[in-house]
Amino acid sequence: MASLNTFGAILSHAVEIESRLSAYFTDIGEAEKAKAADKRRKKLERVRRENVVEITLEPIEGLSADDYALDLNDGSAAGQAAAAQVAARFYADVAPKINVRAAQRALERCGKEHAR
Amino acid sequence: MTKTIKNYLDGEWVASSASDFMPVHDPATCELLANCPDSTPADVDAAVSAAKAAFDEWRSTPVLVRAQYMHHFKVMVEDNFEKVSRIVVREHGKTMDEARGEVRRAIESIDFAMSVPVLMRSDGLEDISSGIDETTVRQPAGVFAAITPFNFPLMVPLWFLPTAITCGNTFILKPSPQTPLSTEYLFEMLDELDLPEGVVNLVNGGVPSATALMEHPDVTGVSFVGSSAVAKIIYETCTRNGKRVQAQGGAKNYIAVMPDANIEASVSNILGAAYGCAGQRCLAAAVAVGVGDAYDQLKDELAKRVAALKVGYGLDETTQMGTVISDAAAERIESMIGQSEGEGAEVVVDGRNFSVDGYEQGSWVGPTLIADVQPNTTMANEEVFGPVLALMKADTFEEAVNIVNQSRYGNAASIFTNNGKYAREFKYSVNAGNIGVNIGVAAPSASFPFGGQKDSFFGDLHGQGMDSIEFYTERKIVIERWV
Repeated sequence: MASLNTFGAILSHAVEIESRLSAYFTDIGEAEKAKAADKRRKKLERVRRENVVEITLEPIEGLSADDYALDLNDGSAAGQAAAAQVAARFYADVAPKINVRAAQRALERCGKEHAR
Repeated sequence: MTKTIKNYLDGEWVASSASDFMPVHDPATCELLANCPDSTPADVDAAVSAAKAAFDEWRSTPVLVRAQYMHHFKVMVEDNFEKVSRIVVREHGKTMDEARGEVRRAIESIDFAMSVPVLMRSDGLEDISSGIDETTVRQPAGVFAAITPFNFPLMVPLWFLPTAITCGNTFILKPSPQTPLSTEYLFEMLDELDLPEGVVNLVNGGVPSATALMEHPDVTGVSFVGSSAVAKIIYETCTRNGKRVQAQGGAKNYIAVMPDANIEASVSNILGAAYGCAGQRCLAAAVAVGVGDAYDQLKDELAKRVAALKVGYGLDETTQMGTVISDAAAERIESMIGQSEGEGAEVVVDGRNFSVDGYEQGSWVGPTLIADVQPNTTMANEEVFGPVLALMKADTFEEAVNIVNQSRYGNAASIFTNNGKYAREFKYSVNAGNIGVNIGVAAPSASFPFGGQKDSFFGDLHGQGMDSIEFYTERKIVIERWV
């Protein structure tokens, strides 16, 4: 079980989700959605770099990457909706665990974009 | 073949004239990463000569141009953020989050240096006497050096270098021989900046090169961060040789936890403060003083959560605590835990004989919690510089403050409370240079001086903030009359 127990583990998992979604949408010909995922990936990389606050790094408990497994084999509308739902749930769960408001806000916004 | 690190002198990478070399290991994998030369006084002399020769041209380079170099430097570090963070992890053993946090704070120091054109401005008065004007001018002071420690191999050098050179000085860095790779990469970036030759110089080594820097007549000032014993030697040697010096030493940082504090939230922050960087930082929380009922709650909550911390290789993002720097450090720390046990303390969570699967040869000490520590014992007074948190009990707030103030160190102290009166009294009466209120690591940002009192600091002007502008400049008073 891959634990999401640090600031970096959460942000890196978010980056991975968006990278995989970008590739997925590219493969199924959804260029706009692929572009949006790539934009979120870049934003999350920036957030990981700029919002890591050394003096408030604290252990994070209760999150596992296994709970947010993406099924990217189904390119149908229903498959896309399921993937977006998992991503939205991931962001909704992890954002409150982050103690840096700017990073929290970025994660919340990613979640909202997936929930649209 | 293992690489041998070179020095960077007068704008070029140059092999040291050293005959002795020190191995640089990844403390988790034990892989030999490089060999670090124990540079000689001749190497130092070459660095100082280059820095001295570069000074006149560099000081007359417009300050806005000097600051512009820092803009480019910042972009380079940002662009290479992940790469440099990984180098820090590999040579130090800390976690990726901690390394990223270190690089972030290093960048804050570059940001601060960009404000030198504003901060170097001075003041003046017209007609201080009839027809006479008087003004103050800040000028760069010459060749400066920094001798930096292993625990923040990228951040601490950048507390000094950016501000020193943006003020118009030239600079020599001597990093720790245990962690020279971050600074090697730093100088690769500086080399790409195309600064004039001799403005920045790197000398790798140990005591001989440090001593040569402190005794060299052409070095104006020295900055140091390390243990108190060495800081005192640095201060004495530099002042004897007529230099400015700022020598930041060791610490024993206390955290007072009041009964009104939110224990769960406090413990989350205390975990980071005590076990971050495996306790190898001069702002690490070393002793938590539980006041009244807070003691038992603190002990129970910490015991549960300290034991659950995930220790491992820093490049694994899920690692919450990495290695200590070396086997020698691990042995010293374990010996101090044993000594404390012998003095009657209770080892609640024991990190001795710790091992991590797949990295059995690494320099591990597990997170350790020691309760019932008494005043006048090893664990109450001596710096451990490892992942060990001691617990002490105080019946009252006043007793807690007395415990904190009995320390010979005065780097940092924190209080966890929801009561403004306690917070105010703590800030007012505790003798430490950095005070945290509901913050376990009271680390000042780059625009504030890094405090430190008693045996934690030797000198007058601290690193960072306006103190650094004072340290790196000479003030000249101009009184003029035109008739």
